[in-house]
Amino acid sequence: MLSNLLVTKQKVVFIIDELNRERIALRFIDSLLHEQGQEAGTIKTLPIGNLRHVSSYEALLNECGNNNNNNQSGEAADFKSSPTTDTGSSSTKAEYNIILPTLADLLCYQTPAYIFSFLNRLRRSEHVRRVFLWASPQHLQHHHAQYILAGCEYLAELILRLESETLLSLISRKPGGGVSNKRYACRITKTEFQVTPLDGPAAVGSPKQPSPEADQTAEPASSTFKIELDEDEVVARNALTLPYERTSEPAEGNIIYTPDADDDFDDEDPDEDLCI
Amino acid sequence: MATSVLLACGLNEQKLPGFVHISEESNVDGSFLISCILGQRLRISNAGTLLVCLQHHYQHYFNAGMRLGYNTNIFQGKTLNVIDVLSDMASEGLSCKWLKNPDGLTLTEQLVEDIRAQVESNYANRNSYTILIDNLSILFNLGASKLQVQQFCQDLASLAKERDNLTVITKLSNSDIYQPTDNNVAKLGQVRIQVVRLKSGVFREVDGKLLIERVLDEGSYACEEARKEVLYKVNDRNVKVFTPGEVGVKV
Repeated sequence: MLSNLLVTKQKVVFIIDELNRERIALRFIDSLLHEQGQEAGTIKTLPIGNLRHVSSYEALLNECGNNNNNNQSGEAADFKSSPTTDTGSSSTKAEYNIILPTLADLLCYQTPAYIFSFLNRLRRSEHVRRVFLWASPQHLQHHHAQYILAGCEYLAELILRLESETLLSLISRKPGGGVSNKRYACRITKTEFQVTPLDGPAAVGSPKQPSPEADQTAEPASSTFKIELDEDEVVARNALTLPYERTSEPAEGNIIYTPDADDDFDDEDPDEDLCI
Repeated sequence: MATSVLLACGLNEQKLPGFVHISEESNVDGSFLISCILGQRLRISNAGTLLVCLQHHYQHYFNAGMRLGYNTNIFQGKTLNVIDVLSDMASEGLSCKWLKNPDGLTLTEQLVEDIRAQVESNYANRNSYTILIDNLSILFNLGASKLQVQQFCQDLASLAKERDNLTVITKLSNSDIYQPTDNNVAKLGQVRIQVVRLKSGVFREVDGKLLIERVLDEGSYACEEARKEVLYKVNDRNVKVFTPGEVGVKV
């Protein structure tokens, strides 16, 4: 499923749609999030009627922060989000998925500079888990649409390009600096978006002509090492929290110690029991 | 007179979709569709219509209506209301509100205000209400920017969403340079009718082609759409449609 590839730890997801599906952009992203079990209360959008006023954008950022501290804000009603149902978990971690309006709609009301700045602020906000932005080049009527698209690609960590009904590409920038560019075959129905990796470097990379020499050194099909991941493996990998990530979580740590009968808590000489 | 073309476009029903957009390619004229739809709406009892004249003035629609078999003057002030921007400009000159920008409102904002006012006063008394705007590209000639036109259409689309049985029908000549604007307006609605010329050139029995796209269901990842393609010929007193391939095959 496409959601396994897009709903990951990367924060800014930019979707470039060559198929003119802008009318269902919001529903598309919403479905991806729901497939990955993201609750409706964690998903926030900016309604199109509010795009005219800069205060709406600021209010969205503030609301994420306020809700995270379990404070009720008066502006909360301006944004489409269901009330958070869980009471304990949301107080410690800020985990909002922000679905921005399409780039064409944003550009209709705000300048590119403001959009970039807002995107960057969302990216830096500790209360935001993911930001989704959708752009259909056929709908962009700004004079510098190509530069704006490139700017958004620069800010994004995951760039999905829907190239055709059966083909998509995904550029992923990892926190360590690694970049991968993979292409996938896709099968789209009204309710499902299935993807299959296109095997082999020839299918993934640019349209290079394979040389005869490369053919000779090509890896045999029955290689010792299995490099590619199938869908279930990707899900399992995304769900796994590595030990160093666990230790870096900002949860408060407490040492629980049950004192023995012989313990001496003399503050003046803490090493008294060592007999030195 | 025009039933066949409306039937082909799916606009012959009493209840129309909330937003319908007509895209006009360069070198073809789709104004006949506005006249056809206007006639159909006027024939429905207690259906209100607001005609916003930007490309042609009201007298043009009266003349076209007479040829298609209806008299707009009978309905004017009752079920038909008109915002005649062109006539206002011609009669009032530079003091006209469309050119003077009173209260700091732009032309498109002023239009939205007037349309909203008309809807407020007439919508409640009618079973359904239709706003016909011909032609958005004239707004560019009157100084509106592409973004203002897009905002104007978004305001109209939200107006249609706010009320049941309110339909907005827009037309835009994309002139081969306003294609992104055209796409942005079309995405607001469920029906898009593209009026295109014949690729093979000019033909005396056919004026052009209508490509009709109707969104039946918006799924999570794809839309279910119905597409139809018909050829049309605008005659003096009627509009004929043909299925592609039909013309010239006479047994």
